[in-house]
Amino acid sequence: MSASIEVRGLSRTFHTTVRRPGFTGTLRSLVNPERVAKHAVSDITFDVSPGELLALLGPNGAGKSTTIKMLTGILTPTAGEARVAGVVPYLERERNARNIGAVFGQRTQLWWDLPVRESFSILRDIYEVPKAEHASRLKEFDDILDLSSFWDTRVRHLSLGQRVRCDLAAALLHDPPVVFLDEPTIGMDVVVKEQVREFLRHQVEQRGRTVLLTTHDMTEVERLAERVVLINHGRLVLDGSLDEIRRTFGSTWQVRATLADAHTDVVPPPGIAVLRQDGPQVVFGPDGPDAPTVHQALKAVIERYEVTGIAIDEADLEDVMRAAYVQAGAA
Amino acid sequence: MHAVRIVWRVTRLNFRAQLEYRSEFLLMVAIGAIWQVSVIVFATVLLTRFTGMGGWDSSEVLLIPATRMLAHGLMVLFLGRMFGIGRDIQEGRIDVYLTRPMPVHRQVQLAYFPTNAIGDLTVAAGLMAGALSRSHLDWTAVRISYLIAAIIGGMLLEAALFTALASASLRFPAAEYWARWLEELLGTFGSYPLNVLPKAVGGFLTYALPLAFVAYFPAAVLTGHGHDTGVPYWLAAASPLLGVLVYLASRLLWRRSLAHYAGVNA
Repeated sequence: MSASIEVRGLSRTFHTTVRRPGFTGTLRSLVNPERVAKHAVSDITFDVSPGELLALLGPNGAGKSTTIKMLTGILTPTAGEARVAGVVPYLERERNARNIGAVFGQRTQLWWDLPVRESFSILRDIYEVPKAEHASRLKEFDDILDLSSFWDTRVRHLSLGQRVRCDLAAALLHDPPVVFLDEPTIGMDVVVKEQVREFLRHQVEQRGRTVLLTTHDMTEVERLAERVVLINHGRLVLDGSLDEIRRTFGSTWQVRATLADAHTDVVPPPGIAVLRQDGPQVVFGPDGPDAPTVHQALKAVIERYEVTGIAIDEADLEDVMRAAYVQAGAA
Repeated sequence: MHAVRIVWRVTRLNFRAQLEYRSEFLLMVAIGAIWQVSVIVFATVLLTRFTGMGGWDSSEVLLIPATRMLAHGLMVLFLGRMFGIGRDIQEGRIDVYLTRPMPVHRQVQLAYFPTNAIGDLTVAAGLMAGALSRSHLDWTAVRISYLIAAIIGGMLLEAALFTALASASLRFPAAEYWARWLEELLGTFGSYPLNVLPKAVGGFLTYALPLAFVAYFPAAVLTGHGHDTGVPYWLAAASPLLGVLVYLASRLLWRRSLAHYAGVNA
């Protein structure tokens, strides 16, 4: 099956004016401005399969939002090409718009002065969704997102959490196969975040939608993403699973075992190193780029030694991503 | 037909939403009317202190602000939301519009109901009623049709100027400040027969900024001053058509500018 989102060598360059320091510098910039090219996205290539949820990660200013804007038809790339559900978004904007849903966490697509339900019905008309289909989809969304308790309220009176839940529903009411979410849970409380995550899981697992998500919330990534694309300074740094990220960017786990025999000659399995040993207490950690995951290491230790106690310490994804951003930034 | 239905539905809902905030609604209507105070003062002074201006009698001159005001009120009502485009760009609303299967220009116009246009149009209708009742012209079907065409042409011409500035704002957000200057200029000079102004100013308001085509030239043609405007008679008479053409050109410019839209990142 062909990919829902195909990105090939996508680049976007912005041209800005350099501000020279000081008053004289400012005057010189006014008379003789120095223009520089800022490569927001450089030669990015990746695919997203139908029904897959991909997290597009990176520090602030990495190029995540610019990438999403090119895939939603907001921006035209400087070079490269992209297809979303078979459509080139920046060439056929309106056709692409029918295939996608988009939520930008900090801005709403609802009519500010209207009750939410009126916005939903306007969107129904715009996307030409049959009334019965619209009603049944709205009920499905209401069951998970609890919209009906506030959907007669004007958008301007909604809390952030209520507003983003409504925006999510609005983005999916026309049943798009591809959904773009740019920091959808930013600023939400934990209860609403979990509600939104459940909704997204449902949309991917039950409805088979393809989702491209950007977020700085690593709990969200762990709970939702099957695959991660990491970009920094506009370049793709890594495309792989969370396990691959963990393996690539840090000694992120330790297995602490208590051996039955304190005099055992400890020769660790391949890819695992002995970090510390104090009598029967041995601490194992990953060794080299081919190190196993924590669960594989746990299994290997138990199989190789007779142990009376065992525990694992795993650095959370936030630590891993911090390491990844630092390494990617230094690269 | 589908597009017309959506436009009607959203406009109706937006209007109803404005009505529900009673004080805000009345305040906006009042602001729309008060904003035109300079035109009202001009009309009052013209009728009470002067017998005419630049070879035109007072009732003929009154036709100029009445036509311009009506064109302006209709522009605010139907096509006036381009004025706040800088804010739409800054707040990312253009980004949202670009992800919907509907022309962005139409979505900008449907963002809210311009309640102040009611005030504008009330003043404009009053002025036009005054101008027509004092007019000595024989209002034949041809004259009335030309007046209607002139009002629509004037509306489109003014909308074209703001659309051109909005197109520039898509690439250079600071261009929005020019829209304020333009509105001020249209309000200040739009009520006079331009032959009372120095030639350079009249030329500027004809060829650089085609304010003369909004109301002055059509009023001149209607009142028999069409040969004394400083431009060929056919050009003055073609003002309504020019409004349509300039508006179409501005929409083309808008479309092209939107293709180069870079949001706040650029």
